[in-house]
Amino acid sequence: MIEFNNRIDAQRVILKLVNRGFLKEELYGLSSGAIDRWIRVNGIDPADDLPRAVCESANKLFFLANKSQEQVTEEYRLLSEEVLELAQRIAKMI
Amino acid sequence: MNMHIYAFGSICRGEIDLGSDVDLLACVDGPAEQIDHEKYSVYRYERIQALWKEGNPFAWHLHLESKLLFSPDGTDFLSDLGKPARYIADVGDCTKFQKLFDRSYQELRQSSNSATFHLSCMFLAIRNFATCHSLSLGHPIFSRKSPLLVQPSLDIDPQAFSILTRARLLSTRGFGENITYEEIATATEAVAIVPRWMKALRSQHSP
Repeated sequence: MIEFNNRIDAQRVILKLVNRGFLKEELYGLSSGAIDRWIRVNGIDPADDLPRAVCESANKLFFLANKSQEQVTEEYRLLSEEVLELAQRIAKMI
Repeated sequence: MNMHIYAFGSICRGEIDLGSDVDLLACVDGPAEQIDHEKYSVYRYERIQALWKEGNPFAWHLHLESKLLFSPDGTDFLSDLGKPARYIADVGDCTKFQKLFDRSYQELRQSSNSATFHLSCMFLAIRNFATCHSLSLGHPIFSRKSPLLVQPSLDIDPQAFSILTRARLLSTRGFGENITYEEIATATEAVAIVPRWMKALRSQHSP
């Protein structure tokens, strides 16, 4: 139960950081469709550090989402920490 | 690798519009690296069996709204599981979605940053709250419009509900027209009734 809202909290933290930067259109979510749209509409180079960090965050959160109904493992804890580190990295890029 | 493939969700309800996706489930017995996890919900057979035993809403969803697309040997894995156990996690689940709504509403009122995402989370919270509640009463409604179909229904302006639905599609699929500042204001005002509606809905529940 807690994990579900924690994952959304982590997603919210990342989106609020990314959307601090002034762009034509906000990043609406961490789904691949939302990220592709954000890159396309804002003319972002997918090879830049920011979109790469956003994609990395999305992949880790997607993995956590798939693990949400499993036992909490050491792997889960480490990945959660990695997502927080990524958020810190994104904060420095904005 | 053994595998069964199912369609589930809106397509099985015939609830199709421009934003509709096709939900696909792959039940597998091992690592499924060749399956695109963006396109399929991939579950191991044992995990599905465990969801059935706990009466998880997803198990009920699959039980009531899925269609077999592929079977390696003519068997229907989900159908053979029979009916899932009774759903008993409604109190925890409804609390979880109420918290998600409260948090998202608070964020939305504080700043316009990521407003579409906050609206999308509110849609998820409202829809899942209604679905879990209806399942706890034994009359599950999995439709995207579940908040409008439960009793009492969410008395919200259709335009505001459509803004929330659009936000969800923008967030989960990157599909649709942007939500304007005026629309954000309309939706923010309209959802003020949600906490009262959630309370009213749960007050009719007798454990």
